[in-house]
Amino acid sequence: MNHSADDNIKIRVSDLSFSYRNRPVLKNVTADFAENSITAITGPSGVGKSSFLMTLNRLWEDLPGASMKGKVEIRLQGRFRDIYDRSMALTELRKKVAMVFQTPNPLPMSIRKNMAFPLKLAGERDKTAINARIEETLRMTNLWDEVKDRLEDDARALSGGQQQRLCIARALILEPEALLLDEPTSSLDRGSTVIIEELLTGLKERLTILVVSHYLEQVMRISDRVLEFADETIVSG
Amino acid sequence: MRRGILEKLTVWFSWAAGVTLLSAVSVLLCFLLLKGHEALNPALIFGETPPLRALLLRERVFDGLFPAVAGTLSLITLSIAWAIPVGITTGIYLAEYAEGRVKSALDAFFDVLAGIPSIVVGLFGFAASVFLHRHFSGRIGPCLLISSIALSFLVLPYIIRTTQAALEGIPRDVRLTALALGATRLQNIFLVLLPKSLSGIMSGIVLAIGRCAEDTAVIMLTGAVASAGIPKSLLSQYEALPFYIYYISSQYTDPAELTRGYGASILLLFLCAALFSAAYGIRKGLTHFTLYRP
Repeated sequence: MNHSADDNIKIRVSDLSFSYRNRPVLKNVTADFAENSITAITGPSGVGKSSFLMTLNRLWEDLPGASMKGKVEIRLQGRFRDIYDRSMALTELRKKVAMVFQTPNPLPMSIRKNMAFPLKLAGERDKTAINARIEETLRMTNLWDEVKDRLEDDARALSGGQQQRLCIARALILEPEALLLDEPTSSLDRGSTVIIEELLTGLKERLTILVVSHYLEQVMRISDRVLEFADETIVSG
Repeated sequence: MRRGILEKLTVWFSWAAGVTLLSAVSVLLCFLLLKGHEALNPALIFGETPPLRALLLRERVFDGLFPAVAGTLSLITLSIAWAIPVGITTGIYLAEYAEGRVKSALDAFFDVLAGIPSIVVGLFGFAASVFLHRHFSGRIGPCLLISSIALSFLVLPYIIRTTQAALEGIPRDVRLTALALGATRLQNIFLVLLPKSLSGIMSGIVLAIGRCAEDTAVIMLTGAVASAGIPKSLLSQYEALPFYIYYISSQYTDPAELTRGYGASILLLFLCAALFSAAYGIRKGLTHFTLYRP
């Protein structure tokens, strides 16, 4: 095995099978994902792209009727860890492997509270530290100038594209090492889509990004690699 | 063509149903007001006693409904206080934790509980008070405590079901939002799911308040009496508005007494309306507090 290539791997999935309500969704999927890259996952709907993302942060465990077999290892803080091992705390994993959903899902509270929410969940109490983190993350996602004067406004008053960028910022505030996005631009107009694509491209030097997408153009524009899913497995990539 | 007629008929039928309902309610209200308006004065509540002295519990009210109002209010407060913690936690358990067989068994169990006639619950409360009287203390008999516990059993299904339905109705995306951000299951329930379901839960509580206010079968077997003054302790007997209405309508001796019975009915309606508005007020405040607190 090529050692240097191995060094570059962030996520390693082996023999992964997934079923939902006794219907097989994924069968024996094996794939590696390189660090600091954007991988696009495409394919027709219903072939398990979203399910695949959820196996990487174990979010499927909160869906009744889902079950999984196989192994997922992710290099966290420089060390490969089996994320399904007992030693892996679920909340710790989800802080390191963040996720953004198809429809922007800000919580019904102010922009500032949305941003502070993951920090509060993690037990951070220091107000100054929280505010500094919020500003830093909003700047990183190019949202700061647009929202700095209205941090106390309801986050749902933002435009769809801004909401989705807020959700990305919220996912990034705990400094994850990987970011999973499930069709993040499918509910947005073209302008917002381009802004988010640029944002993702800029983020890639910080973390490993997996993005499920229907749009071929988008896939071509931003991804370093494309995995195509069909019939419960990867057909190319 | 046929289809058009059917469609029109459906619309007409819906309208007719709505109008029937509205007129039934208005006829009821008008009837009550017509029959009872003469009795609507401070004397209905406070009798000969000066209202302020009665409210401050300085002087006992003899020929007014003040003790019955106080009894009904304490009964509702206590029953709801027992039912809310048990009902909401059971609802959370059913919606978020119970699975498979346990869940379907409990679902069936609570359906049965919801179907138990109130007179049977009353009988059980009565039997329990007799048992306690014999085996624990002669001081325990039918009383406010026993009534409120029996009533809370009666209204538990409302609160359990509405809590469960509200939680289960939360869309998957919202349910996963906090979890994906590293929330524990409990954090997710308390910080996102419960605040989201508050209005559903509150409507269950409003239903439960209404049920506690009107129920007569349970309380007549477990501690409500025609004359007791305002309730002195959890272990004392008490007066209640629905019991007074029942009693007066079956035992009245002159038209004036019957008019007072109608007056009591109007009072009970007002009381319920006041409690409902309080509940809605609390709901609004609480939702705001849980979601927007600093």
